[in-house]
Amino acid sequence: MNKPILAITLGDPGGVGPEVTVKAFPHEAGLDRSIPLVVGDARIVADAVARWVPGWSVAAIEGPEEAAAVSNETIPVIDLRNCDPSLVRIGEVDPYSGNAAYEYVAHAAKLAMDRRISAIVTAPLNKESMRLAGHMYDGHTGLLGELTGAKKYFMVLGSDVLRVIHVSTHVTLEEAVKRVKTDRIVDTIRAGHEHLKQMGFENPRIAVAGLNPHAGDGGQFGLEEAQEVAPAVEQARAVGIDATGPISPDAVFRMAVDGHYDIVVVLYHDQGHIPVKLVAFEEGVNVTVGLPIIRTSVDHGTGFDIAGQGVASEVNMISALDYAYKMATGDRGTGSTRPLV
Amino acid sequence: MPEPDRPLLAITLGDPSGIGPEVVARALAEPAAYEMARPVVIGALGPMLRGIKDTGVELKARAVNSAEGAGEDPNVIDVLNVDGFEDVEFPLGELSAVSGKAAHAWIERAVRLCQDGGADAMVTAPVNKEALNLAGSTDMGHQEVFKRMSGSDYVATMLVSGTLRCMHLSTHRSLKRAAEYATRENILMATKLTDETFKSWGFENPRIAIAALNPHGGENGMIGDEEITDIRPAVEDAQALGINASGPIPADSVFNQAIDGRWDVVVVLYHDQGHIPIKVHGFEESVSVNLGIPWIRTSVDHGTAFDIAGKGIAQAVSMREAIKLATQLATGVRPS
Repeated sequence: MNKPILAITLGDPGGVGPEVTVKAFPHEAGLDRSIPLVVGDARIVADAVARWVPGWSVAAIEGPEEAAAVSNETIPVIDLRNCDPSLVRIGEVDPYSGNAAYEYVAHAAKLAMDRRISAIVTAPLNKESMRLAGHMYDGHTGLLGELTGAKKYFMVLGSDVLRVIHVSTHVTLEEAVKRVKTDRIVDTIRAGHEHLKQMGFENPRIAVAGLNPHAGDGGQFGLEEAQEVAPAVEQARAVGIDATGPISPDAVFRMAVDGHYDIVVVLYHDQGHIPVKLVAFEEGVNVTVGLPIIRTSVDHGTGFDIAGQGVASEVNMISALDYAYKMATGDRGTGSTRPLV
Repeated sequence: MPEPDRPLLAITLGDPSGIGPEVVARALAEPAAYEMARPVVIGALGPMLRGIKDTGVELKARAVNSAEGAGEDPNVIDVLNVDGFEDVEFPLGELSAVSGKAAHAWIERAVRLCQDGGADAMVTAPVNKEALNLAGSTDMGHQEVFKRMSGSDYVATMLVSGTLRCMHLSTHRSLKRAAEYATRENILMATKLTDETFKSWGFENPRIAIAALNPHGGENGMIGDEEITDIRPAVEDAQALGINASGPIPADSVFNQAIDGRWDVVVVLYHDQGHIPIKVHGFEESVSVNLGIPWIRTSVDHGTAFDIAGKGIAQAVSMREAIKLATQLATGVRPS
């Protein structure tokens, strides 16, 4: 079987991206199941390797096809030569770093669209730095949406114990409540269903959370459940999706953790983030579904306050690589596989 | 060995058609209950005996007419009768007006005991809101009884599971109404109440975190301005009063921080912001406590579970924890 090629974008060179990337790399490489590589600047990666993974080296390559041939204990870097380490301001918002981070993602997106890599795993970039460099996106998700021409995409926060998919994410709570609409929820249920099919689930069991306390308690504490959520569940069931809900938000996550559901459709950012961060600690991976390519990401920021100190944890990057591998192969440990791109 | 100055706990049976009698029987069968407290059940002998039989615990029960001197014998549960319900046959596992009426009367009796000094704290088993309604009560649940009988205009609920404590700014409001309620004045009021209450429980300078309302704490106004217009000002108001308050802290990190021991309590701004982490973190151990009433009250954090009533399978972890917490709060032992 061909090994999937997992391309890590280096993220903002002034943040913790290079550090977590090189620290996580040997773990994924050691599993001997994928071909990991980095899209970045080889000089930045070489500096990070020298500091944090002694004994390893870096090989600059032109294209992903060369990655499989590098020696052991070597990180292949598709070298964009766009970031001089002596010009990087560690821990600071800076358009120089913002532009470099943007170019890594843009390059990786092109490779993924051309089917030359199997998945993109992104290290964190800084929105403000990127915007100062003239790339006016709200972050990775909007950027990748545009680069891949996707119209609708959804955020999954995933781990082995609990997965959630968001009806809305980075909007105010007030706006999130307004976005609790049947059509939107149906789209999210469908996206969650397709995501799990890709992960190798035959008949994904999907729970839909309510919005209000006790899922509205029969209309006492809000009508969104009856007017918007329940019809969405019915529509999904009508097309053969195993959806259940609305379920009381304070009960549904425990049920999912206990194995009754494979994913929970959540109606606002914190409804999904609170439980995942509690049960999966550092292992919750951010996944954009609905794109024509596979993309996972660490679920932390650039950590400017700790950048360059060697104290950043690579656990989340290891999890992001693992999730990307599972999406790319449809093998979540059950042995099921689907053809690679 | 029993503690010499054990507090007297008034433990209500809750809706006698539900699992209340079973969880009370099971929790009182644990030796720790009588070692740390003097428990007196507020209810009726019939359902208490039913709970003992259903769970198969090695306990007896007897009716008493006064709480004075009760709760001493670890082998016999003292049940303080309330007039009118001694001989009622309560249905099992179903909604009924008579059970609602009894449950309501037992709450009131326990409150009066606390008010006249006959009990040091009350612990409640679950009631059913529909049953209370069927019984013609205008009180929707415990909280309304407490408000009415204490004259307090702000009774708040805190959930506790291990070291995670979530004080709710509001509970039973739609998410939209809850967000509207999260004003500077209301958050300050809740923070002050939290500070006073924790101090009375033995926390010297309680570390209070206030959760944010919007994703990532609003990202400096980029996704919502309540953090800037209301939450931060409320935290600053509290700090100016000498309260050790911090925030707003993003809701997807504040609970891990609290579990790690950084905060004594998190003030949460809507029902599920507190209920989700509590139930995910420690589902069975979860206990509810009221703030804003002049007596101590803890409660189980589950419902009447009519579907399993009488089967003897209901777990009593939450009741056990509620008894333990009430004892700690009544004796001024800082909960750990």
